[in-house]
Order: sequence, then structure tokens, then C-alpha cells
Amino acid sequence: MAEIAQRRSIGLSATGGWIGHLLDSEKVFGYVLVAPAIAYIVLLVGYPVAIALWFTVSNSTVAHPISDFTGLRNLQAVLDDDIFRRALANTFIFTLASQALQMVLGTILAFILLRPFRGRPFARALIMLPFTIPVAIGAMAWTWMLNPTYSVINWMGVHAGLFTEGPNWLGEEYPAMISIILVNVWRNLPFTAIVLTAGISSVPQELIEAASLDGANWWVKWRKVMTPIIAPILYIALLFSLVFTFTDMTVVWLMTRGNPVGATHVIASYAFQTGVVAGALGRGATMSLFLFPVLLVGALVILRNLKARTLD
Amino acid sequence: MAVLAQHRVTHSRAYRLRKLRGSIFFWFVLGLFIIFATFPVYWMFITTFKEVNDLYNLQNNPLLFHLPPTLDQVRYLFEQTNFAVWVQNTAEVGLTVVLITVLVCVPAAYVLARTRFPGSGSLGIGIFLTYLVPPTLLFLPLSQLVAGLGLVNSKWSLALVYPTFTIPFCTWLLMGFFKGVPREITEAARVDGCSRLGAMFRIVLPLSVPGILTICIFAFTLAMQEYVYALTFVSSSDEKMITLGVVTDLIRGDVFFWGSLMAGALIVSIPVAIVYNLFMDTFVRGITGGALK
Repeated sequence: MAEIAQRRSIGLSATGGWIGHLLDSEKVFGYVLVAPAIAYIVLLVGYPVAIALWFTVSNSTVAHPISDFTGLRNLQAVLDDDIFRRALANTFIFTLASQALQMVLGTILAFILLRPFRGRPFARALIMLPFTIPVAIGAMAWTWMLNPTYSVINWMGVHAGLFTEGPNWLGEEYPAMISIILVNVWRNLPFTAIVLTAGISSVPQELIEAASLDGANWWVKWRKVMTPIIAPILYIALLFSLVFTFTDMTVVWLMTRGNPVGATHVIASYAFQTGVVAGALGRGATMSLFLFPVLLVGALVILRNLKARTLD
Repeated sequence: MAVLAQHRVTHSRAYRLRKLRGSIFFWFVLGLFIIFATFPVYWMFITTFKEVNDLYNLQNNPLLFHLPPTLDQVRYLFEQTNFAVWVQNTAEVGLTVVLITVLVCVPAAYVLARTRFPGSGSLGIGIFLTYLVPPTLLFLPLSQLVAGLGLVNSKWSLALVYPTFTIPFCTWLLMGFFKGVPREITEAARVDGCSRLGAMFRIVLPLSVPGILTICIFAFTLAMQEYVYALTFVSSSDEKMITLGVVTDLIRGDVFFWGSLMAGALIVSIPVAIVYNLFMDTFVRGITGGALK
């Protein structure tokens, strides 16, 4: 064995030469191999963030990207924009409402999926479908299901006697908001459920049995035994789902374009509308920047969690 | 004795009844979840294979076929739209993204997982946090960068930009794979005179082939289903990738070609859904940076 390794190393030193030798320093080896990744991220994430910051304090447009410093004028304009204020509120409403629904439904779903039953892998695969389909495609399928004329949801509602005509889901303010929340829940529920099943199944069975012997009902077991154990995992997974929902524009853009009259825009979709469609880079970037505080908090919490885990 | 036996029978009947009721309730709730999850997919499916006259006839029960299923919509998709071009663009851009991702991620993940040098921990976390920076924050500045490089309205702008999210995701996934290779093996090789690079290429990489293939699959599918950057950078039909093409190009003005749109949606969804179902646990691990075991 040693002989083979030695022969190999001779082969290498003949071909590798001084490069192999230089790379034998742990430091040099480390920096050289990680450099391409860092370079890519600095050039295509770090640098663009810097440009975005410049856009927010300048009057850049797509036609005139080279621009003058205008201070806080963009911020002023954005804050005075009724549609933007609405978008800001919507972003929070959509994110929080879908998170809350996902938590409740996800917990139920997790307990269902943890119970052994015939055909469970198949049922699980079906339930995961929304999460495995590209977001844009899922949003399009829902747009078709909620079509003003051919809505299958309305057809079923009418035939089940729920309503006589059914709303124009994507054309009226509140039905449109409900639709967007619904699609977000549809899409992210499997993720929440998976995280919860992983968390719940990591709770030692003895603990649950001990609690049962002490006469605890399911609510007490859930609240006092399981929740404290799965909380850290749940927390981090929720944060991811929160960040992704908060910053997403796909669902809104494909389903309503922010309509009727801007009532369903979120920060991201309105930034797209302003910066890309209307070409006002400065104002668009300023809007995107409103995503930043939430991202920052999210990143800091995740960071703390990661550090805690890499230390032990 | 007889009384006791009878008592036991009634008890077990009540018990069985309760259990039956519980089980019916269980299947009912499970059924509701499955319907909620799969109905849109069923709807794509039925729309794809319906005759146009059937699809847009409001007198018909929309859940069923009233005319025999047809491949017209699929045929329309392939013959009358740029679908084949989008498939080809997706293959070209997707493979380029995979190539860049592998070339950048493998070395980075290797050293971040297996060596310690000043700043290695922070660099690893820094790369991971990049994954949280959303396209919706970057699309405006990147559109100017893309313009500066002369890549406006070119699919290659996407090949350049997509690694910004595949690199963080795949680096963290690969780190997990590399950590799984026991240190003793490389240490033994080093003692026997193998260089660091040699240990990486000859010992750890061959053992990590499944991990590397996994990130190739993820890089490709992440690129394939992206929407926001694609929408921002590419506008002409023959430069589009498949997801963007399907959701934007089958709409002319206000007219949606729902049949072929859903046919395209179905064709995009099936491979991605299969891959993600097979790799679900790995995918979730990648998203959460290993928060889940």
C-alpha cells in the first residue's frame, strides 16, 4: 500500500513540479482554491450591490445610466408614491399571512406524514409537487385556474353551491390578494412540512412516551416537549422561507402584474415595474433597497446560528 | 365469566369504532392536502390534452374530457412556437452554468471543508450568505453590468449571472460531501508523500463523485427554472430559456394560448419535479445550510 502511494507521489512530483510544492502550504492552497468563488461573488454580487447603492442616490435611467448625484430625492419620491406604500404594506401582509398559514397547515401535514400508512412515499411525493415545480410554472397554472371566464375554481364553487357566480379572482382587490397568499402557501407548504417532519422525528421517542405516561395530552406534548426541541431548526427554516417569500416577485408579477391599479404590488414587483419596465433605475433601486433591512436581520440571525453550530 | 367476555366485546367494538372514525378522518385530511397540492398539476394535464372546442366550452364539466384527448396542443408547441429553440438554449446555458459552477465550487468547497487557514470560516459563511441576496435586489445593477459587457438580450448574460446563486448553494452542499470523506485517508496519503493537490484529485474527488453529480443536477435545474433574471435580461423569443419562453411567449396581447402554455408547463415541470423529489432531502439541506440533519 505504502509502496503504491510512494510510486504515485513520485509520479506527481515529476509532473506537478514547483506548483505542487507551493500549494503544499496550507495557507496558499486554501486561498488559491477559494479565490475563484470569492472573485465571482465579489464581481457579480458585491459590485452590483455597490452600483445599486449608487443608483439610489442618483438620477440614473436606462437611457442615461451615467448620472448625477441627487441625494435623497429618490427616497423622497418613493416614499411619496402611494402605490409603493401600498406595496410595502402588501409585502408584509403577504409574507406574514402565508407564513402563518404554512405553520398551522404544515404542522398538521407533518404529523400526517410521520404516521406510517400504506402508500406513504407516494403520498409524500404528491404533496411535495408544488415545491418541486418551477415557481413561474405554478403561478401560471393558478392564473389559468383563476381565469375570469374559465375559472375551474369558480365552476366547482358554483356547482357546490358556495356562490352563484364567483369573484373575478385576479381582477378585484381582495380576491387577488387572497389568491396571491394562497399560491404562496401552496408553493411553500411542502417545505415547511418537510422541515417540521425532520424536526419532530428528531425528538427522542422516550421523551414523548414519558410525557404520555405522566398523562400529558397531545397539546401538552406538542407545546412542552416537542416545540422546545424542534424550535432551533424550525426557526432557521422559517427564516429562509420568510426571506424567499419576502423578496419574491414571480407570483405577483405573473398573476396580477400588481393590478388592479397597483393594489397587489409587492416591493419587488413594483421595483421591477419602475426600474425595468419604466426604466427609472434610481427609483427602482431605491425600492429594492427596502428589502434590505429584513434581509440583513435574516442574515444576522442565520449567521449566529451557523457560528453556534460550527463551533460545537 | 360470560358477563366479562361480553363486556370485553362491547369495549373492543367501541374501541374499533373510534379507531375507524379516526382513520376515516385521517384519510380525509390527507386527501384534502393531496388535492390541494396536485390539483393545479391535474389541471395542467387536462388542459394540455383537451381539444380547443372542449376547453373553451362553458357548458362542459371542465374536469373531464368531452372530446377524445388530443396531442394538438403539444404539436402546436413544437411546430408553431420557438419551444425547440428554448429547449436548446436551456441545454446550452444550463450546461455552461454547470461547468462554471463545478470549476468554481469544487476547489472552494474542498478547502473550506478540509483545511483550516486564516479566515476560512468567515469565507465559508460569507459565501453561504450570498445565497440570501435575492435577484430582486440585483436585477437593476446587473442589467447595467450586462449591458456594459454587450450581452443585452443574449442568453449568455444568464450563463454569466446564474452562477451567483448556484455557487453559494452548491459550495455548501459539496462541503457536506467533502466533510464525509474521513480525514485519515488523506492524512495517510500525505504521510506517504502525496501532495495536497494530489490528495484532492486522487483520493477525495473520486470518492465524492456522487456529490459532484448532485450539484451538477442542482445547478442545471436551478438555472432551468429561473424567472426574474431571465425576464429582465432577455426579451427576444429566440434567446429565451424554457421557463421564461413558456410563461411569456404563448401569450399574444391579451390572448393566452392556454393549451400549449400548459403543455409547455407540464414538459418543464415533469423532469424538474422528478429530480427534486429524488433529491428532496439534499435540496432542503442545501437551502438551510445543513440546519437539518
